[in-house]
Amino acid sequence: MRVALATVAAILFFVSVQLALAEDIRLAPGDNKDNYESADYHTDSLALPQRIGAPADLLSFATRKQTGLPAPQHPANNQPDAQKIALGRKLFFDRRLSRNGTMSCAMCHIPEQGFASNELARSIGFEGRSLKRNAPTILNVGFYQRLFQDAREFTLEQQVWSPLLATNEMNNASIGQVIKIIQSAEDYTGLFERAFKQAPNMQNIGMALAQYERSLVAADSAFDQWLYGGDKSALTDQQIDGYELFIGKAGCVNCHLIGTQTALFTDQRLHSTGLGFQTSLGDSDSPITVQLAPGVFTSMEKARVESVGEKKPNDLGRYEVTLNPADRWKFRTPSLRNVALTAPYMHDGSLPTLASVVKFYKQGGVEHELLSPLIKPLNLDNDEQSALVAFMQSLTGDNVSTLVADAFAANNDRAHNNNKAAINRTAE
Amino acid sequence: MKQFTTHTLPRILAIVSLVWASAAQADETCMSPYMAKIVGQEDVVYVWTLGEEGLGDEQDKLVTIDVNPSSPDYGKVIHTLSVGGRNEAHHSGFTDDRNYLWAGGLDSNKIFIFDVHTDPAKPSLFKTIDNFEQASGGVVGPHTFYALAGKIMVTGLSNSADHGGRTAMVEYSNTGDYVATHWHPTDQDLRGATKSGKYADGYGYDVRALPRRNAMFTSSFTGWTNYMMDFGTMLGDPEAMKRFGNTAIKWNLHTRQPEKIFDMPGAPLEIRCAWQPNHNYCFTTTALTSQIWLMYEDESGEWQAKAVGDIGDPSKVPLPVDISITSDDNGLWVQTFMDGKARYFDVSDPFNPKQTYEKVIGAQLNMISQSWDGKRAYFTSSLLDNWDKKGEADEQFFKAYTWNGKQLELEFMVDFKAEKLGSAHQMRFGAYGLYGLPRPWEKPANASAGKAASTDAAN
Repeated sequence: MRVALATVAAILFFVSVQLALAEDIRLAPGDNKDNYESADYHTDSLALPQRIGAPADLLSFATRKQTGLPAPQHPANNQPDAQKIALGRKLFFDRRLSRNGTMSCAMCHIPEQGFASNELARSIGFEGRSLKRNAPTILNVGFYQRLFQDAREFTLEQQVWSPLLATNEMNNASIGQVIKIIQSAEDYTGLFERAFKQAPNMQNIGMALAQYERSLVAADSAFDQWLYGGDKSALTDQQIDGYELFIGKAGCVNCHLIGTQTALFTDQRLHSTGLGFQTSLGDSDSPITVQLAPGVFTSMEKARVESVGEKKPNDLGRYEVTLNPADRWKFRTPSLRNVALTAPYMHDGSLPTLASVVKFYKQGGVEHELLSPLIKPLNLDNDEQSALVAFMQSLTGDNVSTLVADAFAANNDRAHNNNKAAINRTAE
Repeated sequence: MKQFTTHTLPRILAIVSLVWASAAQADETCMSPYMAKIVGQEDVVYVWTLGEEGLGDEQDKLVTIDVNPSSPDYGKVIHTLSVGGRNEAHHSGFTDDRNYLWAGGLDSNKIFIFDVHTDPAKPSLFKTIDNFEQASGGVVGPHTFYALAGKIMVTGLSNSADHGGRTAMVEYSNTGDYVATHWHPTDQDLRGATKSGKYADGYGYDVRALPRRNAMFTSSFTGWTNYMMDFGTMLGDPEAMKRFGNTAIKWNLHTRQPEKIFDMPGAPLEIRCAWQPNHNYCFTTTALTSQIWLMYEDESGEWQAKAVGDIGDPSKVPLPVDISITSDDNGLWVQTFMDGKARYFDVSDPFNPKQTYEKVIGAQLNMISQSWDGKRAYFTSSLLDNWDKKGEADEQFFKAYTWNGKQLELEFMVDFKAEKLGSAHQMRFGAYGLYGLPRPWEKPANASAGKAASTDAAN
């Protein structure tokens, strides 16, 4: 009995510490730039040594149903397992899994930035090479039927190898080289053998990373509590107005689906909003406005910008996978869960705020022959636009802080372990 | 032949260098006061060079150029040492005894320590530090290598948590052992510092010290995401353009504690402190807002910061990058990257800099190193691999000029593209006399003559 009480006390203590730490987590860049446009901007920066966090029970997130989402589904050959999740988590934060030891998965999927990147529009990878797209959140990524914004991949187990090998992302020289890095790192000794009963290989590396990603389930938001949990006080009147617009006049729900029991906020399909079309065919020679400091802006001629820069690349979306002209500029509908955390928006990060996204759709996207018929100009006044934004701000999962705190702890473990572990990258 | 060399204790060196500063005309002026200086003719310049894809062996290298007009190899590349990989080679700095040159990679976080004293014409790789990020507790982007007494202070530009601009200084022993991490103050942890304005961004860039005032100063740039990104892409990315430093910090040199944070909008970069014994001030320039700033000790002993002048037309963003103060503190060279100009400012009144000369050095321009007497100035072209200009304007050069107080005259140049070397970045001077070595082309007739030459080199 005494042992049981002690165990309960320990669990309660662990949970209370975790909750306390999670409450302290800022779900935004620790380098605050809110109001930077104004000369009145002031910093509110966090100290990196205090980015400590606490481990979470990820297995429970991978297995239990959260209000508003279906129960997580897992492949038959990769059922949730605490050791496999822990191994995937370790791999996810490991900077050594890139050609020059600089990039981990978490350098683009930054935990406190919605497991995305708030600080730039389009990601950069190995040696600063530009990517065409904004880093999407990996929260709830396990619910997508197809992966990448052009839906070119089918399972997370396979998907993870693309960034590991892409020359403009982590740029590992080969699959074998990734396996060799892991095999030669002392701190991985025995981990794959214990989790998978195998040495590390292409399949189980993918499985481990997929396990961690599928544990990042974040629902039970204020919206979920309101619609599915029966808590009618969970949303403000403005958010309820926004919901009504979302499922009604604004028509957002046509692509960002809400069901009677659960809501993925995506139809899993691909559409063209016109943004890709605009980049490919509607390039402008207008000067651009560049911010130099808080409240200080200047105008720069396009030619001057291009003297030090590459041209913004075309992005033909789904077409690049199928080569079907009808698929030009089509991108997968993203879920809107946790969308308040994942600015900037759209496939290329070209819209900085949710308000700017609403404005874009109010205008009916960008007119072109492949514009989705579901997108048309909307007659929304300012209050209605604000209500839609307020509604989207209600979609943040109540456990995101816990997941972020866990990620902080994982990163700290990494720094500690990697410091002791040598890697043999030299030739045989 | 006027060279000063010594192997005496660093603290004595600091005093000696001050005495010499008042007697001589000017520097290798960005060197640490803890360090022996070359006040006469330098023999070689080490250029820390970025490897370029498709050019030569495509990797970073230390390039040694003979710059002594009396040498038969004057104006030639006499040695290259490839280090493997494109690490985003950037800055370098000597240990206080000037025996080793530390050179960093802003991307890979590797620090290459070169032996430059055994044979100044042929540096060798002594040691590579490859756990900077882990040892420091998450600091990324080793930038400035600044000699303190028996130590090297390495400024970071970024961190491994989010690749943003919050960072720290990392202190090492001369032998390459990690000593401590000194985080830049943030609002959450000011570490005892006082905010003089609205900002405590935690960013870092350069470091310089004024030992006689127990003062150390740092500036602030941007994190890995921005300094590695294509420059034009970044200019068009409003979120990225918010991620620049707007602060400089006065630290207690002895305790390494930050004391006062100055608001300095627009990314203050290089810091150069005055050399004269009663000149208690340092200059810096803001890259984005194109201003000269002065950090100075006022009559009450309080440190202040003030914008004291514009560089070109700030609305055109000329992008001032490297600066260099003359050793008499009367002049400040300011290089502007976008228009490729070297600009000379009269700063005899430090509160009222006046530009008195400018010259286009190339299509793009970054670094300058001037001799202690101010008569020679060397320039290189590269800023950051993905920030350099595109196409034909991506000139990569080392150019040697003489300066007569009125104009720059080109003596020779090394085309780093034609020689398939890469992109030329930071320069550091070397001299045989520093190590009691005779110049190879001045071989003595016998051993005693050699000794005499060495002694002469030290005078």
